[in-house]
Amino acid sequence: MIAVRGLTATRRDVVVLDDVDLTIENGEHVLLVGPNGSGKTTLVRHFNALLDPDGGMVEVNGTDAAASPVAARTSVGMVFQHPRDQFVAGTVGADVAFGPENLGLDRAEIDRRVEAALDAVDLAGQQDRRIGALSGGEQARVAIAGALAMEPDHLVLDEPLAGLDLRARRSVVDRLRELGENGTSIVAVTHDLRDLIELADRVVALVDGVVTADGPPETVLDDLEGFGVRDPRR
Amino acid sequence: MLRYTPGATLAHRLDPRSKLCFQIGFAVAAFGGASVGWLAGVYALAALALAAGRLDPRRVASDYAVVLAVLALAPPIAGIALGPPWFRVEPALHSLRAVARVPPVLAVSAVYVHTTPVRATRAAIERLVPGRPGQLLAVGVALVVRLFPLVVEDLRTIRRAIHARGGANRPVTDRARRLAVQGLDRTLARSGRLSVALRARCFAWNPTLPRLRFSRLDYPVTVLGLALALSPLLRWLAQSAARSPLLAIA
Repeated sequence: MIAVRGLTATRRDVVVLDDVDLTIENGEHVLLVGPNGSGKTTLVRHFNALLDPDGGMVEVNGTDAAASPVAARTSVGMVFQHPRDQFVAGTVGADVAFGPENLGLDRAEIDRRVEAALDAVDLAGQQDRRIGALSGGEQARVAIAGALAMEPDHLVLDEPLAGLDLRARRSVVDRLRELGENGTSIVAVTHDLRDLIELADRVVALVDGVVTADGPPETVLDDLEGFGVRDPRR
Repeated sequence: MLRYTPGATLAHRLDPRSKLCFQIGFAVAAFGGASVGWLAGVYALAALALAAGRLDPRRVASDYAVVLAVLALAPPIAGIALGPPWFRVEPALHSLRAVARVPPVLAVSAVYVHTTPVRATRAAIERLVPGRPGQLLAVGVALVVRLFPLVVEDLRTIRRAIHARGGANRPVTDRARRLAVQGLDRTLARSGRLSVALRARCFAWNPTLPRLRFSRLDYPVTVLGLALALSPLLRWLAQSAARSPLLAIA
C-alpha cells in the first residue's frame, strides 16, 4: 500500500503540493489526472523517494519512503514520461538488467527477471537489440520492462502514452492490462483519459497541488470539466 | 555515432581485460617508436584490430572527423615561421610524425568501444583496480560512456534546429555561441535526468556485474599487449647494446 499523509512540496517558494492525503491499495489501478503543472509528477516522485517531502510523509508498504529510499524504489517501479530519460544502457538486455544488478542479485536470478520482464511486455528474446534502433512504442515497453525487472508491488507510469501513435498506445495499454490482471497495482499519471480510463478502478484529480476529486471513473468524470483533462466520452 | 554494437566477431569474443591490456600496450608502442617502418607496423596492427571487430575504417574516420581535422591542421601550423622563409619543412615533418601516431590509437579504441558493453568495461576495471579506487574509476568510465553519446546527439539536434530555421546564414561565431550555450544547458539537464534515472533504479556502487572469462584466445592477445607495452624499452635496450663498446670489442 502507498499512503500519502499531509504531503507538502515547494519549489522555489511555490507550493507544488499542498497537504495531499491519498491511499493506494495493493492491486488498485489509479489514474492521476490534472492539467500541466498541477503537481502530478512531483507527487509520484515522492512515492519512490526521488524527492524528499517539505512536509508530511509517504509510506510504502508501511515504511517511510524518505527514510528507506532503496526499499521504496524496490517496491515502487517508476516509468518516466520520456523513456529515453530512463535508459542507462545501450541495449535492451543491459538496460532491463540494470535495476536487478543494483540489488546485488545473483546472475541467474537477474537473467530470469530480465527474461520475465521482457516477456511481460512482449519483447522476449530482444536482449541484444540496440535501444536507439527501437520504435517509440517498443522503447516505452522497454522502459516498463526496466521497472518490472525490479519486481515491484506498485508500478507508477508518468504519461505512459505521451507521443505514441495509435498502435503503440494500444500495445502499451494491453501490456498494462495484463500486468494489472497479475496483481500489480498501477498508478498512471495522465491528462488524457481516452485510452487509460478502461483500466482504472479510480480516478484522482490534482489541480494546483490539491486533490479536487477522488473516486470511481463514472463519478469523477463530471468533476473534471474545465481542468484541462481530455474527457474520454467526447 | 560509435558505440557498443552486439555481435559475434573475434573482438566481441575477447575478454575486456585482454582488450584493455592490448589497447594500453598499443598506445605505448604507437608513441614509443619514431621510424617510418615502426609506424607502418602500428598502422598494420590497427588495421588487423579493425578487421577483428569488423569495423569499417571509413566509419571510424567519419566518427572521429573533427579530431582528425584538428590533427591535420597541426603540421602546417607547426611549419609556419614568423619570418622568411615563412614555412619551414623540418618542424612540419616533426609534427606530422607525432600526429601520425594518433589515428591508429583512435582506431583501436574505436574497436574496443564497438565490441565491449559498458558494464563489461565496468567489471574489467573493478577487477584490474581493486577496492574503492577501482569502483570510482569504473563508475566514472561507465557514466562518461553512457552520457557522451547523448551529449553528442543533443549537439547534433541543436545544429539541425539552427539549420532548419535558416541559421546557416548567420555568422559562424553566432552559430558557435548558440551551439555552446544550448549544448551546455542540455548537457546539464541530461546529467540531472540521468542522475534521477540512476536513483530511481537503485544505483549501487557494488552491483552484480557480468562474469568475465578468459578464453584461450585472450592469452595471446594479453601477451601481445604486454609485449607492445614493453616494446619501446626492449628497442632502447637493443640499441644501447648495439652501441656498447663491450659488444663492439666482442
